[in-house]
Amino acid sequence: MTDTAKTDFTHRISAHCESGSTSSLLFHYGVKASEALVFGIGSGVFFGYFPFIKMSGSPLITYRTFPGRLMKNAAGRLGVGVKCVKFKNPEKGMEALDDMLRRGIPVCLQTAVYWLPYFPPAFRIHFDAHFIIAYGMSGNGYIISDPVMDGPVTCTREDLIRARFSKGTFSPKGKMFRFMGAPGHIDIAAAVVKGIKEACFVMLKLPVPIMGARGIRFFANSLKNWPEKHGNRKTLLYLGNVIRLQEEFGTGGGGFRFMYAAFLQEAAAILKDDRLLDLSKRMTVIGDRWREFAASSARICKDRASEKDNFNLLSEILLDCAEKEHGLFRDLSETVR
Amino acid sequence: MKLFEQPGLEFEKELLEMIVGICRISDPVQDDFSPDDPLIGPDSVLGLDSLDAVEIAVAVEKKYNVRISLEESSRVIFRTVKTLAGYVRKQMGPAPLSA
Repeated sequence: MTDTAKTDFTHRISAHCESGSTSSLLFHYGVKASEALVFGIGSGVFFGYFPFIKMSGSPLITYRTFPGRLMKNAAGRLGVGVKCVKFKNPEKGMEALDDMLRRGIPVCLQTAVYWLPYFPPAFRIHFDAHFIIAYGMSGNGYIISDPVMDGPVTCTREDLIRARFSKGTFSPKGKMFRFMGAPGHIDIAAAVVKGIKEACFVMLKLPVPIMGARGIRFFANSLKNWPEKHGNRKTLLYLGNVIRLQEEFGTGGGGFRFMYAAFLQEAAAILKDDRLLDLSKRMTVIGDRWREFAASSARICKDRASEKDNFNLLSEILLDCAEKEHGLFRDLSETVR
Repeated sequence: MKLFEQPGLEFEKELLEMIVGICRISDPVQDDFSPDDPLIGPDSVLGLDSLDAVEIAVAVEKKYNVRISLEESSRVIFRTVKTLAGYVRKQMGPAPLSA
C-alpha cells in the first residue's frame, strides 16, 4: 500500500471510545453532539453481570450497552444513518477501508486493543471492542483518530489487520461503520426522549436477573461468595478486573455513571425540565458510591484493607447502588411518559 | 522528596505526601523523584498502578472536593504529580490550596 489520502477529519479526545468516536464523526458531519449527549441518546448506560462469559480470564461485567449499539442508537436517533459492514476476509475488509479513505470518507472500526501498536505495552489488554476512526493513509500506514489518545496516531496495515480480525469474546470481525450524512433538521429533543426511554427499559424491565438494577443486586449477592467459591487468588484477580472495567477503560469513572449524569444535565436544558437536573445530581451521587466500591475493592486487592473493607461491605455498597439506580430510573421514566 | 521542596511546589508536595500515605508506600521517596516523573503505570518509580489511581481519585475528591471524571482523560491527569496538581488546582479555582 503506497496510497496517500486524508480527509479533513478533526481528532477529539474523549473518555470512552465508542461514544467518543460517535461524537467525533457526528461533529464531522455537522452535528454538534457532545460525548455525554451521544452516550445518553445512544442509551449507553447499563449494567450486566455475565459470570458464564470470561474476558481476560474474569467474569464479564459491563457498565455500558453492547458494542456497536450505542453508535447505531445515537446516530440513528439523530437522523444520521450508519452502515455497518462485517468481513470474513481480511483482504476484502482492508480493500473496503482503503476505498472509503480514497473517497475521503472517515470510518469507524471495531478493533482489539492488544494489537494496536501505539498503545503502551502495559495498556494492551485483551479487549476486542475498541472503536477508532481511520481517516487517512500514508505510505504503509493508516492515520487513526483513537479517541482515548492525545492526538492522531498511525498504524501499519499489518497491525490494523490483526486488530480488526482478532479472535476473542467480542471479536471485531472486521466491522466498519460508515456514517451516511446528516439530515437538514434534527429533532434533538425526540432523540433524547428515545434514549432515556430505552435506558429506563434496560435498567428496569429486562426479564433476566443479571442485567439492569436487578443485575447489580445479583452481582452484590454473588460477590459475597467469591472468596469461598473461587479462593483468594482468583477472587482478587476478578475483583481487580471489575475495578479496572469500572474506572479505567474510558468509562469517565463510576462505571459511566458520571457520564450519564452529564447527559442528564444536558437533557434538562434540551427538554426544559428541571427534574432532570435533580436526577443528574442523584446520578453523580450514585457514581460516587460506585467509586467508593472501587476504592474499597482496591484496598482489598492491594492488601491494605482497613477493618471496614471486606466482601460484606462491598456487597452492601452494591446493594445500595442497585436500590438507588432502581429509584433513579423509575423517576427518570416518569419524566418522559 | 528534595525536588518537591522548591518554592511554588508546596501543593505538589502536599499531594505527594497524601499519595504516599494512602498507597502506603513504605520506601522513602527518592530525592531525585521529580514532580514531572511518571506517577502511575509501569514507569512509575513509586510502583503505583490503576488500582492506586482509584484510591487517589477518591482521596482527592474527599480532601479537595474535586471529582476526576468524564471528559478529562484520567491517564493525562495521573501522568505526573504536576499534572494531577495542575488539574486539582484548576478545578479548585483561585482559593487557597492548603488547609
